[in-house]
Amino acid sequence: MQINYKLQDRFDLAIFFPALALTIIGLMAIYSATVNHPTASGNFNKQLVSAMIAVFVFIIVYSLPQRTFQIFAIPTYLVSLLLLVAVLIMGKTVYGSRSWLSFGPIGFQPSEIAKLGTILALSYWLTYKNRDINNIKDIGFALLIGFVPVLLILFEPDTGTAIVFMIITISLIYWSGISLFGLFVVLSPGIVTFASLLGLHVFIFAMVMVAVALFFFKRDLFNSATVFILNLGASFFFDYAFKLLKPHQQKRIESFLDPSADPLGSGYNALQAKLAIGSGGIFGKGFLQGNQTQLRFIPEQWTDFIYCVIGEEFGFIGSIIVLVLFLIIFIRLLNLSSLAKDRFSVLVIVGILSLLFSHFSINIGMNVGITPVIGLPLPFLSFGGSSLLVNMTMLGIVLNIYKNRKLHT
Amino acid sequence: MNDTNFGSIFRKRLVFLVITIFFAIIVMQQFSMQVIDQPTYSEKADENSVKPIYQTAPRGVFFDRNDEVLVGNKPSFTLRITPADYDKNLTPYLEAIIGVEKGYINKILKQNENYSKYIPRRIAKDVDFRVIAWYEENASKLKGVDYVIETQRDYSFGITGSHMFGYTKEISSLLLQRRKNEYMMGDEIGFSGIEKTYEDILRGEKGIKYVLVDSHQKTIGRYKNGDEDKNAIKGYDLILTIDKDAQQVAEEAFKDKRGALVALEPSTGEVIAFVSAPEYNLADFASVTSNEIWTKLNIDEDKPMFNRATMSIYSPGSTFKMVSALAALEEGIIDSSYRVHCGGGFQFGDRFFKCLHVHGTVDLKTAIEKSCNTYFYQLALKIGLDRWSSYGAKLGFGHKTGLDISEESPGILPTRKYYDKAFGLNRWPKGILVSLGIGQGELSVTPIQLAQYAALFANYGQSAKTHFLKGYVETLTGKYTEVQPRYYDIGVSKESFDVVREAMYRVVNRAGTAGNIRLPDIAIAGKTGTAQNPHGEDHAVFIGFAPYDNPKIAIAVIVENAGFGSVNAAPIARDVIKAYLQKDKPKEKSANLAAKSLGGEKSAD
Repeated sequence: MQINYKLQDRFDLAIFFPALALTIIGLMAIYSATVNHPTASGNFNKQLVSAMIAVFVFIIVYSLPQRTFQIFAIPTYLVSLLLLVAVLIMGKTVYGSRSWLSFGPIGFQPSEIAKLGTILALSYWLTYKNRDINNIKDIGFALLIGFVPVLLILFEPDTGTAIVFMIITISLIYWSGISLFGLFVVLSPGIVTFASLLGLHVFIFAMVMVAVALFFFKRDLFNSATVFILNLGASFFFDYAFKLLKPHQQKRIESFLDPSADPLGSGYNALQAKLAIGSGGIFGKGFLQGNQTQLRFIPEQWTDFIYCVIGEEFGFIGSIIVLVLFLIIFIRLLNLSSLAKDRFSVLVIVGILSLLFSHFSINIGMNVGITPVIGLPLPFLSFGGSSLLVNMTMLGIVLNIYKNRKLHT
Repeated sequence: MNDTNFGSIFRKRLVFLVITIFFAIIVMQQFSMQVIDQPTYSEKADENSVKPIYQTAPRGVFFDRNDEVLVGNKPSFTLRITPADYDKNLTPYLEAIIGVEKGYINKILKQNENYSKYIPRRIAKDVDFRVIAWYEENASKLKGVDYVIETQRDYSFGITGSHMFGYTKEISSLLLQRRKNEYMMGDEIGFSGIEKTYEDILRGEKGIKYVLVDSHQKTIGRYKNGDEDKNAIKGYDLILTIDKDAQQVAEEAFKDKRGALVALEPSTGEVIAFVSAPEYNLADFASVTSNEIWTKLNIDEDKPMFNRATMSIYSPGSTFKMVSALAALEEGIIDSSYRVHCGGGFQFGDRFFKCLHVHGTVDLKTAIEKSCNTYFYQLALKIGLDRWSSYGAKLGFGHKTGLDISEESPGILPTRKYYDKAFGLNRWPKGILVSLGIGQGELSVTPIQLAQYAALFANYGQSAKTHFLKGYVETLTGKYTEVQPRYYDIGVSKESFDVVREAMYRVVNRAGTAGNIRLPDIAIAGKTGTAQNPHGEDHAVFIGFAPYDNPKIAIAVIVENAGFGSVNAAPIARDVIKAYLQKDKPKEKSANLAAKSLGGEKSAD
């Protein structure tokens, strides 16, 4: 097939423009949240520079030959693992997590690079020659690729990012065509573990459900017993891991499960965020007019709570605009996944979609108070150079795949 | 294009469903928050806009042992700037009218720029009423500037006492970090002396007035009609052990002199008078201290900021001879009849140690009375370094007396370990001991240690830790709590003390070195000394106590660069003793303590 030289055939504006619009809205929100802040008032300029660099990097990535991503998949992954180990040894601790590496004046979060590395490596591995995704060995290895970074990030500890990695891994395995039983094997330990958090009765109920499901799958006794023990083991392991968490992280999980338990602790941010959004009303209080934001009731609002600046100052209408922009990106990514020319590219796009969507849903969910407060930035809007750079790089990869979709069919 | 198995339609639809359902949930949640429940959230958000306005509490007042006010409070005007509303172009006018150097306001704003712009910064305390009148006239043009009435320290009660009272200072950002639960930016905190030690009970509790502010921080009314407001509660009043009359006499005597004086009540360790001269003017610290004053105080060669009474270390000179005397008697090395011939000095090895006179054959009491060096050179050799330093330590040297201010030095009491370290194990010359026998050499003491030493002789080795605080009055209940002195006994026999005390009596009342201060009606016992000063003229030292039979006051006086103790230090001690013992005492402890406490009422809005 010939390359069509019309612009809209080589460049998907339906993804790029919403992303650019979100970045600009993010800059406005960051300006609003920091303009009256004594120590963070330089953040707007920093983010503006990051945005320009990010767009520049986006153009470079977009222009690369498509083979690049396949070639660099495994090396990127291995380098990012090395960086994740390095950060545990010599990283800088910010807000209780050792997640920053600094080279002179430049600091970045290796976990951001690892997101890219993991998506590429998993996609590469899952589509390499004759993989059988329903083979327990192949599932196991795919899980290994996804969960090594999860483990390293849990040591930082950065729960939110670790959850994102799990979602990415499961999404890619799911998209590779895993059977219902396979998916059950992968997912049930997670569900059982969550149930164990809610109390002994819920846990026992979940284990009974696992047993019932196993009965209906009609696998042989050995397989069924293995899965059952896997489930038990996972929840006990989690119980152990929970005790390893920092007290403030345990608190966050507990305060989600029982919001009334800790109204002034981790619940405070969530409450103040809800007040900001709720008081914004339909049309919002106007740019720079939100008193929750301007009087700084929400600590570090320009990072994880940037969405409530929009909710407060631009109201329901403004929030809907942001939500719709995200929706356009997600739906477009989903559609592009079936346009890509090879399985690798399909999985890369799905990985990127799952990454952006998990960030988005966890962040927005905590801002409007329906998910626990887990520190994760909102893509394109939150303050943070590493995150913006990696997100733009990913869109560069997506559009690169789009540009090359009609070659060598 | 792609195989149908891969990324099947079902999978795609499922993901599409997950995304859209999530969006629907978020939109519904936000609709319910921002449209349906908006009034509730708005109301709650407005409650956030309640702003506390803090009022500083007056600090507790200092009274002397007879309930005379020593340090009080007075109202004063404090000028403030709120950076959020402030126009920097006003700075030159403000600086001119309050009379500070250029750049002063900018410096204060810079120091605190990490705090919220909406918190007012104090830029000048105790400003003149003229400035307030000017402000009132121009208030509409002076956006972001206001003033509040606060209380500040009042030092107009006839005594100075700068080193014992100490001063308060605006809390440093470093300290604020550590104590951010108790203090706020701009708060005063006790920085030295008694103000520092008793900060926790002196500072009282801040008052809080809640007001409603709009999003521009403009006050729009009171919150809940002031039901939640709290009045400021004044800090506890302190009853100090100081005697104002004795203190006044002591301060008067040290005008234009350098040195220190400490007077104690021997049985309790209470400080009756306390002077470190030269003093500094505490009133300079009551408001914001200008750079000019700081610089002047810090470059002054007389070091007025230095607490000589507790931190300056002097060579005690002959006043230290009683350590040897007491050690020798108590350890049975000699009895009081032991005699030494003084031919004007003592040859030890290849060195000749001089005595000031030729005393002939003297016994112990005469040796103290006449301050014969020869006698004590030899006595020190008999006692030996270990026993000598152990009695020095018993009598309070080489460690802090435990006075309740943080500025105190332990001095130096040389021990075997000290010399082993300086010269190598056992390689120190024995001549050292000869010098120590007359209170010279590496030995260094503070005036308060000397006063405590005098007190121990006065009261036969029984006393209590030195202290300033007699008791305090709780503001709300008016309850008076007496502080229990920490008593101790050094465990030396009365017989040994009797010999030395009698010799000290003779120093003043026979043909001794301090005959010049003899009083007809008060029997003073004491000892003069001349502390060698490598940097200039010797210091005059006198320690003593009175009355001899039933001591009520023990005293140590050091006058720097004043030569002989008898001429220059002893008369000051006599005057203070007189002032303390000869007045119409005891005054009735006034029952209405609270009424006297200035600024004791809850502070006005």
